[in-house]
Amino acid sequence: MLIPHFNYHRPSTLKEACEIKGEFKNKAMFLAGGTDIIVNLKRGVISPEKLISLNGIEEMRLHSVDGKNGQTRIAACGTVSSLIKEKFLLPYSALITGMESLGSPLIRNMATIGGNLVTARPAADLSPSLIAYNGKAILTSISGKREVLMDDFFLGPGKTALNDDEILSEIILDNTSSYSGSAYIKLGTRKALEISLVNVAAFLTFEKPDGPITGARIVMGAVGPIPLRARTAEDMLIGERPGAALFAETGKAAAKDSSPIDDFRGTAEYRRDMVKVLTERALKKALNDIR
Amino acid sequence: MKRLINVTVNHKKYELAVDPNMTLADMIREELKLTGTKKGCGLGECGACTVLLDGKPVSSCLVLTLEADNRDVVTIEGVETEKGLHPIQQAFVEKGAIQCGFCTPGMVLSAKALLDENPHPDEHDIRKAISGNLCRCTGYQKIVEAVQSVSVRK
Repeated sequence: MLIPHFNYHRPSTLKEACEIKGEFKNKAMFLAGGTDIIVNLKRGVISPEKLISLNGIEEMRLHSVDGKNGQTRIAACGTVSSLIKEKFLLPYSALITGMESLGSPLIRNMATIGGNLVTARPAADLSPSLIAYNGKAILTSISGKREVLMDDFFLGPGKTALNDDEILSEIILDNTSSYSGSAYIKLGTRKALEISLVNVAAFLTFEKPDGPITGARIVMGAVGPIPLRARTAEDMLIGERPGAALFAETGKAAAKDSSPIDDFRGTAEYRRDMVKVLTERALKKALNDIR
Repeated sequence: MKRLINVTVNHKKYELAVDPNMTLADMIREELKLTGTKKGCGLGECGACTVLLDGKPVSSCLVLTLEADNRDVVTIEGVETEKGLHPIQQAFVEKGAIQCGFCTPGMVLSAKALLDENPHPDEHDIRKAISGNLCRCTGYQKIVEAVQSVSVRK
């Protein structure tokens, strides 16, 4: 399989990368891990005139934890396998589980967190948890930076809030408060190199270890054009004490919040049923994850 | 337009002029004639083209050669030591972990990366480490046993 010709740029700073992107707009694409873009180049799905490699930019891999503002900043070019090992991400169990189930070790060694987001696949493993944590994407261009909620970042399959001259440079997560827990569950037919049939991320915050629930975010993947919030289900949880009966009812509500389609990997009916099961399980897991 | 890169392959330094659209898998096979690296799916799904890039196993069919500039690449040809086969290779032979052999280079390199990081992996660790390498002879059991035997020996 051959890759079409393109011009290759390898800037060494984010500013330089933005300048090139600003000049060539949609004729140029960024290359990070390459696990998606190289496949699409080979398949002839895309044919950019320029590829801007981000792998020579140190600052695109520098993460930081800001205790004062209570924020964790994940640089977009952090590879999945390197991020799995980062101690500062330990409180974000849903994100870690998602990263561990992404592709295979060979893919995780190259794929980046930013790449997984900008490709905007409806079944992606990292977007549900980042939305559940109410993460923010920092979009950078020559004219400056802007913040977009992860909730508003995805517009459709392969479509994001990024403009032609922008780059996703970092992802910001608020530090988790005490008495909060999260979980991510992916359903597939095999354990590696699998695209989710359905996935669910849940993030719960409690007033005290045994409740009541003060914050609930449930995000469902592969059951809509973008990862979907299960808003009816989330509302049912607020102010309640956690428990099996409540979580079962919430699962049913989440199924109604989803809008899956039939495709060769599964039917809409099956997916909706699995949203119910996975939501219930993810909530139980999140409850056990309280830290 | 070709660009110059410096890359270390199997402990040997090379200065190469390569086209931007040449993958690392093609460079290794076509330019360096190291055909131990196999090309299977070409889409990062089978693991036949696995090489170690700075010690980490990656699918070389998804890496542009230019991205390997100033980096260290190890292919299956670089695993053998002066004393002969690497213990992992020897174990694959002894345990009958090779059938058609097409997945073997990738399997050995994924196993090597695992054992370099964790000399005593359990069965779960091994299965996870080779989960990106497909064996269509389905000889997984013996492959796992071979890797396990090396970890016990160490």
